[in-house]
Amino acid sequence: MKVTLALKPAARSFIPIEAESIVPKNFLDGTDLPVWRGNRELRLDEVFSVSVEGDADRTEDVEVVLSGETFRLKRVGEYMDGGRVTILGDIGMHCGNFMSGGTIEVRGNADGWLGREMAGGTIVCRGDAADYCAAGYRGGRKGMTGGTVEVFGRAGDFLAENIAGGTVIVHGDAGDMPGAEMRGGTLVVHGDCRRPGANMKGGSCYVYGTAQGMLPTFRKIGTVQHEGHTLIRFAGDIANRGKGNLFVKAYEYLD
Amino acid sequence: MTELLVKNACVIDPLRGINAETMDIAILDGKIVEEVSDAAEVIDARGMLTLPGGVDSHTHICGTKVNFGRYMSPEDMRAGRTPRQGPLHATSGYSVPTTYGNSYRYSVMGYTTLLEGAMAPLEARHTHEEFVYTPLQDTMANTLFDGNWGIMEAIRDGDTKRVAAIIAWTLRAVKGFGVKLTNPGGTEAWQWGKNVSCIRDPVPYFEVTPAEIIRSIVEANELLGLPHSVHLHCNNLGTPGNYSCTLGSLGLIPDLNEKRQTLYATHVQFHAYGGSDWKDFCSKSEPIARFVDMRPQIVMDMGQVMFGRTTTMTADGPMEFNLYRLHHEKWSNHDVELETGSGIIPVIYRRKNLVNSIMWAIGLELALLTKSPWQCLLTTDNPNGAPFVKYPEIIGLLMSKKYRDAEFATIHPDTEARVPLPAIERELDWYEIAVMTRAGQAKALGIQDLGKGHLGPGADADVAIYPIRMDEVDPSAEYQKVIDAFSRTEYTIKRGRVVARRGECLVDGSNATFWVSPKVSEAYDMGKDPDFIEKFDRYYTVRMRNYPVQEEYLNRNRCIETEARI
Repeated sequence: MKVTLALKPAARSFIPIEAESIVPKNFLDGTDLPVWRGNRELRLDEVFSVSVEGDADRTEDVEVVLSGETFRLKRVGEYMDGGRVTILGDIGMHCGNFMSGGTIEVRGNADGWLGREMAGGTIVCRGDAADYCAAGYRGGRKGMTGGTVEVFGRAGDFLAENIAGGTVIVHGDAGDMPGAEMRGGTLVVHGDCRRPGANMKGGSCYVYGTAQGMLPTFRKIGTVQHEGHTLIRFAGDIANRGKGNLFVKAYEYLD
Repeated sequence: MTELLVKNACVIDPLRGINAETMDIAILDGKIVEEVSDAAEVIDARGMLTLPGGVDSHTHICGTKVNFGRYMSPEDMRAGRTPRQGPLHATSGYSVPTTYGNSYRYSVMGYTTLLEGAMAPLEARHTHEEFVYTPLQDTMANTLFDGNWGIMEAIRDGDTKRVAAIIAWTLRAVKGFGVKLTNPGGTEAWQWGKNVSCIRDPVPYFEVTPAEIIRSIVEANELLGLPHSVHLHCNNLGTPGNYSCTLGSLGLIPDLNEKRQTLYATHVQFHAYGGSDWKDFCSKSEPIARFVDMRPQIVMDMGQVMFGRTTTMTADGPMEFNLYRLHHEKWSNHDVELETGSGIIPVIYRRKNLVNSIMWAIGLELALLTKSPWQCLLTTDNPNGAPFVKYPEIIGLLMSKKYRDAEFATIHPDTEARVPLPAIERELDWYEIAVMTRAGQAKALGIQDLGKGHLGPGADADVAIYPIRMDEVDPSAEYQKVIDAFSRTEYTIKRGRVVARRGECLVDGSNATFWVSPKVSEAYDMGKDPDFIEKFDRYYTVRMRNYPVQEEYLNRNRCIETEARI
């Protein structure tokens, strides 16, 4: 089953639309779903032109395609546990929150908190991801616990903050503090970043570019070969008696 | 003039010696009266258990500390969300909910009076402001005097009357209700990076010991004729083997007051530990309970721990630092100038953890081993042991051996060798529970004469009607029914008005705050004492004239004037 949701140009507004109902599983029972704009509840077809092709009995067979100016559409795929969501353009904040299965593909850019606290499944972002991609949330002890997030562009600050499991791969550069408070899982940044792994307790963080503003609380161990890269291995964060591994291609301490 | 008649109520009212009598309760303009006219609105209680409104004599619900707990744990606000609805405000949070969250949840459980356990005098305004937004309960605040410089100097000089005078001035200034000592001396020592190990260690610089502080403030409290006794959080909280220190502290207390106890020892569960380290940690609830049995001058509360997530918060700064070193989690620490300090960390009590399992057992043992329910009150030191919404489960555990055994089977297997709980057969009855949750608390706080904790004519019309009939339910076997009933009143009546019905709050109430103003002679008015004024202006960051909390901060204020003997 393929559900196509094209955002109506008339539905564009400055106030974001919260659409946690856009999850493949929900479309098994039809398209009569609510979304919210501020404190007003709207029907899905007031906001989108909805078209459905074919039908399905299982969540895995449902594909939702979102088109139009979806950059102010929030919480798409929240608690998603299967199926596929494809976003042709950009997507708003909190896409794939708490996701546990299935696939989300973002062809454009993603706003903040992409895949926050996700537990499983796959998110692919062809463009850039903003801050707090694959991160935890305010005050929480665990961020992402499983699954995969792959960003082909750049990522913002606090990438994979509090990550406790799963894999995050960024092909471009990342911002400040990737893998902060990391306690498990794997983070790979193909480009440069600033201050990776701050206060990490466990897990592995790989930087194939240069780590700027490298933190002094990591102990240098030696060089290792990893997937064709020669990386320098650090252990830390010593400030937190951490047992994490940080691998960087090159690094610069602050003057 | 509003009249209300509660008919066919099965009343337990321990302060008047009423045990399960079916009777009518007449209410006129917020007070209980002998009878009302035929025009009165009628509520048919149909034989349901009817008790005076609940009184929590030690809880942390308002003030800077609680609010910092909210700051530190935004994740706590994910739980317990309810939207705005009619007169009700939106709420959120679990262990440190919003003030409305606290108020509504207490009200649904039938609680109508709350005592904030620790208010730093300098930060009293914040507490009173939050009291205003705790609309469905009358409130009062214990005021911290554990590390007060002026008081420690007066103690060093052996001048108990001056101690009393400083307490009197401060209570009046900050609109406090009682005297709270939290790790007396220890919090001041913490400002020097130290702690006191027990009651005989001197506090740096002041050279007074916790024992001297406790004894002298207890005497001062009685000189002032305060309604409540000194409210003590003993030294050495939460360390293995601290029970001997607790016994030492309780042993200092003479019997000075015939109306009530002379010392209220709070959350004694945290002070009843045996062993020399965490490896041989065990319960010492038996010696504590035996000791308290023999001393009518002491009342304690349980400070029960229940499993799950919560936030610990106390003025005991050094203890929270030790806890931080154990858990390595978020921690905050705060110093309140010349007065006290505080610390906060979130914790999770786990069944799989031996220490936590033993703590859970100790609280129950204290309640079950203490002979008189008037001497061991039901609390969790909310939210330190558990959020107060766990009270119904605790009532279930105290009333049912079967439930205790079922729970015991799920905790750490080594607990059995360390605690006497499995051997205790006692099951508390309805009357004892009524004592431990309202009557005993009102008596201990000294507010029964103000019309709290009983249903006699002239009392405040605070009534809790629980959807359970004593003759139909065997609490020992059907404990789940007991838990359900105590979780959700059929009616909660506050000052003559139905404020909650079957789990739904109905109105945005308007509470009253009780505070104490002891009358002292001219010579002991600290507001005119040159030495006190000079020290104040020299060491505080605020001017003395800006320090007192104006009455505008109190909603409906009920000032209790006492005649001091100084």
